[in-house]
Amino acid sequence: MLKKMRKGGKCCGSDTDPLELHGLKKIVLVGNPNVGKSVLFNRLTGAYVTVSNYPGTTVEVSRGKGKIGDKYFEVVDTPGMYSLLPITEEEAVSRRLLLNEHPEAVVHVVDAKNLPRMLPLTLQLIEAGLPVVLVLNMMDEAKKLGLDVNVSSLQKRLGVPVVSAVFIKGEGVEQLKRVIKENGKLVS
Amino acid sequence: MASLLVNEMNYNPDIQAAVQKIESSLKHTYKLSTRTIALLLLQGDKEIHQLVQEKENSYAGIQKVIQETSVAFEQPINYVITLKRQELTNSLLADAVKEGKVTDNNRFSEILNKLTINPFTGIPILLLVLYYGLYQFVGVFGAGTLVDFLEADVFEIYINPLVNVWTARYIPWPVVQDLIANDYGIITLGIRYAIAIILPIVGTFFIAFSIIEDSGYLPRLALLVDRVFKAIGLNGRAVIPMTLGFGCDTMATMVTRTLETKRERIIATLLLALAIPCSAQLGVILALLSGKPLALAAWVSFLTLVFLFIGFLTAKLMPGDKPIFYMEVPPLRMPTIANVVSKTYTRMQWYFLEILPIFILASVLIWAGRLTGLFDLVVKALEPVMNLIGLPAEAAVAFLFGFFRRDYGAAGLYDLQQNGALSTEQLVVAAATLTLFVPCIAQFSMMLKERGLKTALAIAGFIFPFAFLAGYVLNLLLKMIGGI
Repeated sequence: MLKKMRKGGKCCGSDTDPLELHGLKKIVLVGNPNVGKSVLFNRLTGAYVTVSNYPGTTVEVSRGKGKIGDKYFEVVDTPGMYSLLPITEEEAVSRRLLLNEHPEAVVHVVDAKNLPRMLPLTLQLIEAGLPVVLVLNMMDEAKKLGLDVNVSSLQKRLGVPVVSAVFIKGEGVEQLKRVIKENGKLVS
Repeated sequence: MASLLVNEMNYNPDIQAAVQKIESSLKHTYKLSTRTIALLLLQGDKEIHQLVQEKENSYAGIQKVIQETSVAFEQPINYVITLKRQELTNSLLADAVKEGKVTDNNRFSEILNKLTINPFTGIPILLLVLYYGLYQFVGVFGAGTLVDFLEADVFEIYINPLVNVWTARYIPWPVVQDLIANDYGIITLGIRYAIAIILPIVGTFFIAFSIIEDSGYLPRLALLVDRVFKAIGLNGRAVIPMTLGFGCDTMATMVTRTLETKRERIIATLLLALAIPCSAQLGVILALLSGKPLALAAWVSFLTLVFLFIGFLTAKLMPGDKPIFYMEVPPLRMPTIANVVSKTYTRMQWYFLEILPIFILASVLIWAGRLTGLFDLVVKALEPVMNLIGLPAEAAVAFLFGFFRRDYGAAGLYDLQQNGALSTEQLVVAAATLTLFVPCIAQFSMMLKERGLKTALAIAGFIFPFAFLAGYVLNLLLKMIGGI
């Protein structure tokens, strides 16, 4: 299962055999550091990339194969980014990916506890004309803090699908898959 | 369907006008909307500027628009745009999010959070983490109990004799016998080092590190040491590559990407290559010195001193902006066993698959070197250097091993000590010099990849003589105070 680790000298990025992924439609996971992109990646692909509780665990792009319905997709995990205007090298890695590839869906994973800090990137992704799905992760922790997020109102205002999730427990993964399947090419 | 919202994103009439002008002169198609491209150009994004300059004939005109727009503002355009975006976000959220009462106030985690950040309680906590996590678990249990068991009970009693007898019986040529068995054979040396010495140490380190990582302790440690790190040209953020370096410097060199400036990345890469021992090396050294607390203290303080001194010096010598510290602190969380297990497993698998071929290759090279007499020649050549830092000639072998991998060298030292060839002072000098000594092949190739040929060579070119010079000084110092 852990093909990535076998390529000599590379440690933290996943590289499934490129031929295996050739021609598959892409789902790109983006978002601030430490919001759970890698957890989602592992859930979608059944592979394992390192997950930790601090920002900056992922510094390379990881690619894996995931199945939604009966269709296979290439799932791409990216280093965290705060904005489309990169400051650090890891952010530049993620932005370059968006500049060069043509994803079927861009899943913006955010920490539901910190929406004011996270949504500016959602706005930028929408502005860039990307097929965005917004995922509010860590909803359980947000609820404990007394935050009540009205998902449908947010969805209406943003004009993109919004899914609430607790990826570490697996909640929201199926719904996200459904949304991606139904909205095939989310671009308007 | 998103167009409605995009219309709401009116940054400012001047910016809006500039965006429209730039958009109309962009003739090519981009993966991102022309509006986004225009905005990034306005904010001075270097990569986008380069891209547009290559693609568009109208680049000069675009530059003029940007110039004119930026002089119209007192603040940087980036700031104006970010502010506007935040306003829109806030208005969106005002409708969609209601703040209620905090239902689950986790007192314990809040108190713990404060304790880890406050220097008065944070430093004792750090020492506790180091003592139990690193010293007791990795040093005493991993490098002591586990290594002893695998080395003495498994390899020495069962595997090595068996391999030696078997090769002696079935392989008639002594030359081939030596390749597989005896002192430097692939199985008796290469595989033994990898499985009996390195594996238990790296394994215990990664278990401890994974638990610490998942608890959210590292960002708090970053806050705590930020001030010290500032003095050496880094900021608290660098805690993560630095602590990861104690696991594997190769991995850590890659993680220096998370640092914001090129200057910080170079300083961090240098310090990792010089003064941070990797877990395998650390474990072996802890095991070597564990019976001698003074020796261990001498080794730790000498390396800390070198770390701070060289960091301070490079920070002074290297031009560039001082780093500002900004890091998110995630909540303290209970690590889940499943994640700790799979993470440790993944890292160990990566590590093991990387080292095993190198260990075997090293065995083959040493075998070939001995066969041709080259090995003895190099050991001879290193002899004066060894003498200079007060070590016996045999120690040259460990340093030669160190070329292949940091931990391999430390493991060679382990063998020397088992044979009683080193005094305590010599052990400290050897351990310190070996820790400073060249980064291993894997780390060096990562340095090449991340920092480029010039920087990587410059770092290696500095470290090599410096390590021996430092060993020399340490030897003198120890002699001066009359030994430990």
